[in-house]
Formats: sequence, structure tokens, C-alpha cells
Amino acid sequence: MMDAPYEYPIAVEGLKKTFRSSKRSGLPDKVAVDDISFSVKKGEIFGLLGPNGAGKTTTIKMLATLLIPDSGKVRILGIDAVEGNERAIRERINLVSGGERGLYYRLTGRQNLKFFSNLYNIEKNKQNELIEKLLETVRLTDAADIKVEDYSRGMKQRMHIARALVNRPEVLYLDEPTIGLDPEIARDVRSLVKQLAASGTTIMLTTHYMFEAEELCDRIMIISNGRSVGYGTVAELKRLIPDANVIEIVTDSDPHETVSKLSSEHRIIHISTERIGGRYCTRAQLKDRTDMLSEFDTLFYEHGIRKISYDEPTLEDIYLSLVSADDSVDITPAVGGH
Amino acid sequence: MNFKAVASSFKQQAIQFLADPQWIIPSIIAPFMFTVVALYMYGDADGPIVLTAVLGGGVLGMWGNMLFTSGYTITYDRYNGTIEPIMLTPTHLIDVIAGRSIWNTLIGLVNALLVFVFAELVLGVGVSVSEPLIFFPMLLMTLFSLASIGLMLSALFVLTRASFVVMTILEFPIYVFSGALFPVSVLGSFQSISYVLAPSWGVDAMKTAAVHGYESMTSFGIYFDVIMMLLLMAIYIASAFLLFRVIERNIRESGALVRY
Repeated sequence: MMDAPYEYPIAVEGLKKTFRSSKRSGLPDKVAVDDISFSVKKGEIFGLLGPNGAGKTTTIKMLATLLIPDSGKVRILGIDAVEGNERAIRERINLVSGGERGLYYRLTGRQNLKFFSNLYNIEKNKQNELIEKLLETVRLTDAADIKVEDYSRGMKQRMHIARALVNRPEVLYLDEPTIGLDPEIARDVRSLVKQLAASGTTIMLTTHYMFEAEELCDRIMIISNGRSVGYGTVAELKRLIPDANVIEIVTDSDPHETVSKLSSEHRIIHISTERIGGRYCTRAQLKDRTDMLSEFDTLFYEHGIRKISYDEPTLEDIYLSLVSADDSVDITPAVGGH
Repeated sequence: MNFKAVASSFKQQAIQFLADPQWIIPSIIAPFMFTVVALYMYGDADGPIVLTAVLGGGVLGMWGNMLFTSGYTITYDRYNGTIEPIMLTPTHLIDVIAGRSIWNTLIGLVNALLVFVFAELVLGVGVSVSEPLIFFPMLLMTLFSLASIGLMLSALFVLTRASFVVMTILEFPIYVFSGALFPVSVLGSFQSISYVLAPSWGVDAMKTAAVHGYESMTSFGIYFDVIMMLLLMAIYIASAFLLFRVIERNIRESGALVRY
């Protein structure tokens, strides 16, 4: 197939996908993706954020030709990806999914890469050099001839990335690539993602870690129940909530009982506590322009307040605001810490 | 077809096979058990009957091995999460399965030969073949015919998570209808089922080549067996290609690929 001209490597318009439930189950059909549209520029890192079940993975799978949309237009590298051209697209894209599955455990890292490079029909005389380079990129050269079953979680994730780079993809989808990784390895993965984007690879990323999205993504789409609830740069997203009102309180003791009581308070969108060092940092996002500073001062007094102030909303605050506008979504488990 | 992918899948299956001791049961032990049971069934008979027992044991073992490996190969990928990365490549799933089936066929052949050696040396059963130059090519063809059924069934195994149940159910029809252990003529009106099974023609050809005076399924001789076997194999392989195409589309619509 000839290369089609394109402005955006990823262009999506009115994308929809519903999973039909079996009659036997008695469950209603699940609308996974409901009319979303966006486009991604060459070399851009585009983030897709949303709670569990929001439709992030389904969207990525449709863009990776693993799922057929019910309706809508998808053009990947200028090629219509809805049906019929999937093999031409697959030669030029790849996908990394988080988690431990997706590799042959009885094979060594090198054998895994060799197997997949053959599936991409890469010439034999180029394979060895390519595999060495990939192993070096993901820092697995020393473990290349060890069976994957003996790899740590972080090594497996790096091997997933190496596997996804065997065809030098122009578009790379990363579905929660740092999930479950220790901070050092996760930082390495983020650094690699930046390098790939800098070299011209177009990247689409899903993550539950807001700081990761803020660090990596040029633009973000937040989806909830399959619908887009926010789309733009982090600064543009922050402008979507002009009245964002966040109080941050640092205390000596754990204020979980107070936080638990406040979580049912109707003026609060979201409240959570995180232990940082030897202290407890509680962030509360308030509705509109509600002023609760003095109220909080009283309520948290017994926990030894070190600091209490209004704070600039973070991407996490914006995310929670946008997602919680949809009542049916449980937002609590979706947010990772720093 | 991506032949590099076929070769790579063959090698990958070989490594998996050699690294995983569980394969010994369906691939090595089961065919010997079939042969021993078949020999006991036929009691003190000798000559052609003994050969039928050994041959039957070998064929049943090959089929069991082929069925198990065909079903397991997809189940393993589904469980292991590797089916999605395979589907993500430009290579057709059937190319990967074909490479693995060729390895399974090779193991089946080694197996069948070991059964003969085992019968001769361990059980002390004299097995002589009247036309060895015809018999062994027929053995190989029968094996490929079993592999072509395995390839077709592999497509169906993509659809189901219950492949082990399906495998167990599918194991028996070939035992009965292939004529491996007894002449298909005893099946009465069910005999017509044997005619649509390529291995039945293979078994018939092998028996014709092995046993002097054997009464064939038809009066057209061994060449007819070969033609029927090739024709049916072509149908199975074409069906496999078609099924894989339909099923790949189906799983891209339903998203059922990653469930396990």
C-alpha cells in the first residue's frame, strides 16, 4: 500500500464502540466508547486519562486495529483503520500493555524478540543488530539469554517495550506502561518515552498516574463513561475549571477520621490524605467558590496543623472535578500517588 | 503467507516443547498406552491383527498428540497474554499456528516410529510391513491429514476458553471413525462419516500397504485413498484459512480475544 498523505498520524472522529452482552447473562450492553474525536500530531505524547472502565483501553485497541469500532472514522498514518487495511497499519504501529502477561516465559528475552521480529518479517541480516540495540535501549543486554520467567516485573515491562519497538513503530500506544513498577524503573520508562517522542515517534499513553501524565503529555483527553469530558493541554484543562478551589493541610497525625467524615460533605468534591515523610498531607477540592478554610482549621486542629492554605489545582484536581461531574463514576480508586 | 513467521513459530514450539515436561504425557506416553491397550484387546491374535493393533495405537496416539497440541497452543497464548501481541503484527494467526502444527507433526512421526520400535523390541510383537516404500509415505500423509484437521480445529479454539473440554470431546470420533483399530465396515450406516475424514483414507492406505490381502474401504485401490486424502486435506486447509479469517474478524468485533 502506498503511503497516504496525512496531517495527523492519529485522527479520530466520532468513535463509538458498544460491547454486546449475551442474552443469557441478562446484562445490558456496555457502551465503552461514545462519540469521541481527537487528533495527535507527529512526535506528540497524547494522554488518555479516565477511571477504570472509562474506555481508554478500548479506544487504544481500536486505534491499534485489535477492535473494530461500531462507527466513526479512524485514520492512522493517513490510512483508514476501520476495516480492510489493518495489516498495512500493523507494520507501522505497536502497543505496550502494562502487566506481566504478553511474553513467552519459557523463551529467553532474545528469543522473544527474535520471534516477534520474524512476525514483522524483518530481514534476517538486520535482526541481530536490531535486537542488540533494543536490548541496550531497555538495559537488558545482560539478561538477554535468561528465560523471561526469571525476569523481575520491571525487566518484563522493559522487555514489553523492546518487543513493541522491533518494527520501529511510527505510532506507539502505551497502555499503563508503568503500572506496578518501582519508582526507579518507572522513571526509566518515562525517560525512554520522552526519547522516543523526541525522535519523532507519535505516542498515545493511558495512565492512572496524574503526575506521569503531567510530566509526559503534550495534550490530554479525559474520558468518563466512554465520553470526552476534557481535552487540551494541562493549562487548557485547568481553564475548564476556573473556580477550582483546593485546600491543602499538612498535619502531624493521621486525620483519617476527620477526612472520612468530610468525604460525605456536599460542598467537597474530593478529599484524600497521603503520608509524605513523617507528616500527613490532605487535599480537599471544594465546590465552586466555597470558603471552608476556617472550618478546616477547626476540624484539623487536634491533628497538629503545620500548614493550611489554598493551593493551585493540579491535574489530579482537574481530573477529579471533570470526572466527578458524572455521578455514576467511582473516582476514588483511579488516582495514583506521586 | 509469512514463511519466516512459520519457521519462527516452528522453532518457538520446539523450545516450548523441550522446556515443558507436561508434553511428555500426550506426546510420548499416551501413544504407548494406546498400543498396549490395543494389543491386549486383540489378545493372542497374530499377523495382520497385531499390525492393526500397533498401527491403531500409533494413529490414535498421533491424533491425541495433534489434538492436544492444537488446542493447547491457542489456549496457552490466550492465558499467557501473547495472542494480542501476535494479532497486532501483520502476520496472519494461521501462519503462526501452521509453524507449530508442523512441529507437532514431526513429533507425531517420531512417536509413530517409536511405537513400532516399542512393539518390536519391548512387547516382542513382530511387526512386518509388506510394502514399506508405500507404507511410510502413507504414514507421513496420514499424519499431515491429522495435522490439517488440527489446523482447522485451532481456529475454533480461538473462539473458546473451554478448549480442553472441546479437545476431550473431539478425541473420540477419530478413534471410532478413522478405522484405526477396526475396519470401518463394522460401523454400518455410520460408515459414511469415515469417508469425510482424511485420516480414514490414510489408515486404509497404510493397512493396504502393510497387510497383504487387506480388504480396502473401496475397490479402487491405494491411489484412490491418496486422492481422497489429498482432496479432504485441501478442503480442511481451505476451511482453516476461511475460519481464521472469519474468526479474526469476529474477535475484533467482540473483543473476546483477551478473555481467558
